[in-house]
Amino acid sequence: MIVAQQLRKRFGDIVAVHEVSLRAEDGQVTGLLGPNGAGKTTTLRLLYGLMRPDAGTVQIDEVDVVADPLGAQAKVGVLPDAHGLYPRLSAREHVRYFGELQGLRGAALEQQIAALIERLDMGGIADRRAAGFSQGERMKVSLARALVHGPNNVILDEPTNGLDVMSTRAVRKLIRELRDEGKCVLFSSHVMQEVSALCDVIVLVAGGRVVARGTPDELRALSGHGDLEDAFVELTGIDDHRADHRADGGQA
Amino acid sequence: MRSWLTAIRIVLRKELLDGVRDRRALFSALLYPLLGPLLSGLLFGFMADKQRDAADVPVPIVHQDRAPELVEWLAGHGVTVVDAPEQPREAVREGEVPFVLSVPEGFEASLAQGTPAQLELIVDGSRNDSRAAISHVQKLLGYYGKELAGQRLLARGIDPEIMHPVIVAEVEVASDQELAASVFAFVPMFVLMATFIGGMQLAVDATAGERERGSLEPLLLNPVPRSAIVVGKWLAAVVFALGCVILTLIACVFVLEYTPVRDLGLSLDLRVPALFGVLLAAAPMALMAAALQVLVASFARSFKEAQTYISLLVFVPMVPAVIGMMTGLERSVGALLIPGVGQQIVVEQLLGGGAATALDYLLPMLSALAVAGACVWLTAWMFRRESVVFGR
Repeated sequence: MIVAQQLRKRFGDIVAVHEVSLRAEDGQVTGLLGPNGAGKTTTLRLLYGLMRPDAGTVQIDEVDVVADPLGAQAKVGVLPDAHGLYPRLSAREHVRYFGELQGLRGAALEQQIAALIERLDMGGIADRRAAGFSQGERMKVSLARALVHGPNNVILDEPTNGLDVMSTRAVRKLIRELRDEGKCVLFSSHVMQEVSALCDVIVLVAGGRVVARGTPDELRALSGHGDLEDAFVELTGIDDHRADHRADGGQA
Repeated sequence: MRSWLTAIRIVLRKELLDGVRDRRALFSALLYPLLGPLLSGLLFGFMADKQRDAADVPVPIVHQDRAPELVEWLAGHGVTVVDAPEQPREAVREGEVPFVLSVPEGFEASLAQGTPAQLELIVDGSRNDSRAAISHVQKLLGYYGKELAGQRLLARGIDPEIMHPVIVAEVEVASDQELAASVFAFVPMFVLMATFIGGMQLAVDATAGERERGSLEPLLLNPVPRSAIVVGKWLAAVVFALGCVILTLIACVFVLEYTPVRDLGLSLDLRVPALFGVLLAAAPMALMAAALQVLVASFARSFKEAQTYISLLVFVPMVPAVIGMMTGLERSVGALLIPGVGQQIVVEQLLGGGAATALDYLLPMLSALAVAGACVWLTAWMFRRESVVFGR
């Protein structure tokens, strides 16, 4: 479970995150939805502890991220915004390196690696060097190394960005499976269809604030539009006052 | 503490694997140690050849008939006298012969009258390769002149000794090996430069490269202290630097043992204990070089920028080395404490056949370790800063 309260982050004069509070439950997929520049990536970086908030608190399974970032990072698997690979390491070596850094050793580690290679259908690329990997293959390696320690919480920053249909499907399938295993999955996206197809709860952000939250149906009802895309435009629109007002209503 | 060391080991192993597979990193670590010593070996071998050949160079003389006694004297001293080329000046300028000796008209008459008789030696001062032969023939002609002067004094009943009111005898106090060390000052320089060149590519790739590839953010998401990650990367660069030092030493030994350098009549102390001493002196330098490189590369905003800065860093060990070659470095506590200078002094002393005291090892080691520690600490601090991690 991931709980964030009144997060705030400023870079110089620019306030990237004004005030974001959210709660991602175990056994649910929570989507962080918002247009480009809404503060999604910064919010996620605050959640997984790579950035310190100027104000507010984050807890992952009741571990305070600011006070004990290493303790929190052991409980979460992250696909960050930047997820480059080492061109001279094979897929298996990538996963092994991160598994070792997460404290896994020996047979348990090798078993976990084999299971992830099987699960993400990476058999063909497991022992090839990453230099020539396609976008989809790179994504698979990034996901495998994020999940190698079997974390209870999973944070994914735009996991389907730039992927083709087949790879996107594979990622969606993985997200659903993780939820069905009772894990807490939080991912960000700016793609409407994706969020509506996957999420149990949507948190809508714009201009560094949460403007609405609820199930896809609740958001549709809230905006008065039957189409989720219209709801998105309406709720993240320029009229912040109205959006804020609705956000309050949606919290109920 | 134990988990910290474990994390360092994991990062170190990964960076070494990555480095060994990186053709660029391997090239700079492997090629440099071979290139420098081999090139200078060739150069020194060439010089030795020239010096040896200088005595065998035939002396071309224009108008040999004007100075039969000189020709006879030269032949009597083992010199091959040959006919000069048609155009002596052109021939010298073109480098066909290193010099031409020309006997002007009236040479014999001047000799007979006892007035100074002129000889012309046609040379090209811009040609380095003919210098040895020229000075050899000049020396010979000098002897000839002295012999004539002695004969004339004797003929007038004066002891030729009167020509030498003062005799300067050089008393050489340097051992042969010390002389050799001054000639081979390039060896310490190559060794110390190797500490900077060996880990260079790896240091850039593991820091600025890691960030530019976008693999730094996922790496830092592992529950491992940033300091352990930095130390692991640093040690990987150190391993490459030390490997480069060892290869450089091997290449230097090979060059000095198996090329005509020996004909210069000089020898370096290249016995195993001396070599281990050099390695011991260079090791702290490798720690420092890698730490400087990791720091500078983390500071740079891009891979390219990091490479530029780091290639400039290579000049750091060259400064004391060049000063050492030009003027010699004085062995004092102050000098020993300057990183780079201290190592230079110790290495020179070891290769010169001298023994280095514990203090000689300790002082430069302490200062280099202090610099290395400060650099690693600063890098770890930078790795905790968001602006550095996200390259803002």
